[in-house]
Amino acid sequence: MDYALAVATALGALSIYLLLPRGRGSLVKTGALVGVLTLGSAMLYLLRWVGLHEVESQGAGLNVFFCLFALIAVISATAVICHPRPLYCALYFVLLTLAVAGLFILLFAQFMAIVLIIIYAGAILVTYVFVIMLASPGGNVAVADYDRVTTDPLLAVLVSFVLLGTVLQLMFIGKPRAFMAARPSGPVAVGMTMGHKILAGKPAQAGQKPAPKMGGMELLGVNLYSQYALPLELAGILLTISLVGAVMIARKNEPAAGVLGTGQMPTE
Amino acid sequence: MAVMSQAILYEYLSLGAVLFVLGLIGFVARRNMILIFLSTEIMFQGVAINLIAFGRYWMNMDGQSFVIFLLTIAAAEASLALGLVILLFRRRETLNVDVWSEMQG
Repeated sequence: MDYALAVATALGALSIYLLLPRGRGSLVKTGALVGVLTLGSAMLYLLRWVGLHEVESQGAGLNVFFCLFALIAVISATAVICHPRPLYCALYFVLLTLAVAGLFILLFAQFMAIVLIIIYAGAILVTYVFVIMLASPGGNVAVADYDRVTTDPLLAVLVSFVLLGTVLQLMFIGKPRAFMAARPSGPVAVGMTMGHKILAGKPAQAGQKPAPKMGGMELLGVNLYSQYALPLELAGILLTISLVGAVMIARKNEPAAGVLGTGQMPTE
Repeated sequence: MAVMSQAILYEYLSLGAVLFVLGLIGFVARRNMILIFLSTEIMFQGVAINLIAFGRYWMNMDGQSFVIFLLTIAAAEASLALGLVILLFRRRETLNVDVWSEMQG
C-alpha cells in the first residue's frame, strides 16, 4: 500500500466533504484550504512517480499543460458538485468542458476537442441553462432550500473515495511496464486496420496530399464508417428516438393536442 | 509523433478516475434534479478522457470513435432527462428529489 497516495486521497475526501453545501455552518474556506493541500500533494506525488518511472523519457516528465488543464478540470468539477446555485454549476461545467478539450488536444485528438466544445458547451449546456431558468422555483429566494443541503454527504464521500483510493492504489502500486515493441509508433503506422488500408490503397502520385495525421477528421471518419458503420447508424436512430421521446415527454398534456402521445382520446 | 509511455498514460487515467468519482459524489449527494443529471455529465467527461488517452497510447482511432458514441449517448440522455425534469417540475413546482421519494400510482 502506498501511504502517500492514501493520505492524498483521504485529504481529498475531507475537502470534498467540507465543501459540500451544508446549510448555515458552512466550512467552505477550510474545505478550500484542504483542497489546495490535496491538489498540491497529488501533483507532487505524480511528479515524483513520473520522474521515477518515465522509462522512455521522451515526454520529459510531467507536462506543464497537463498539470494546468488537470487542475482546472478538477477544481471546476468540484465547483460543479459543490456550488449551491445551479446556474453557477452549469457555468463551471463549461469550464470543465474547456479544460477537458485542452487535454484532448494534448492527446492528439484535436477534432474531438472541437466536437466536445461544440456539443457540450454549445448544445447540452445551453439546454441545461434553459431548463434551470425554466424550472426555477417561485418566490424571490436566491438559493432554494434543497440546494443548501445534501443527502448523506459523509456516506457518499466515503464510498466514492474508497472506490477512488482502490483504483489509484492498484494503478500506482507497481512499476509501469517499459516500452512495448509491439506497439506501433510511426505517424500513421497508427493501427488503422481496415481504414488505413483503404486510405493506403489509393495510388500515390506526385503532389498528392500527405498521409492523414491522427487527430484530424479523415482517419476518424474512415474508422467510423469502416469499422463502426452499423453502430453509427444505430446511434443516428437513437438520436431520432430520443428527439421524439423528449418532445413527447415534455409536451403539455392538453386535450386539444390530439390523439397521439397523451394516451387518451380527445373528449368531444 | 512520439510514443506515449505508460507513466504518462497513468496520469490521464488517474485524472479520469478523479473526475468520475467527483461526478459520482454529486450524483449521490445533491438533491436538485438538474444537478444530479449534470453530475452524470462529469462522469461522462472522465470516461471520455480515459478513452482518448487509451486511443493515444495504442495509436489508433478506436478511442476517438468511442467518444463519438459517448457524445451521442450523452446528448440523448440529456434531452430525455431534461424533458423528464420539466415534466416533474410542472407537477410539484419543485426540483427537490425527496418530494418524489414515495412511489404510488
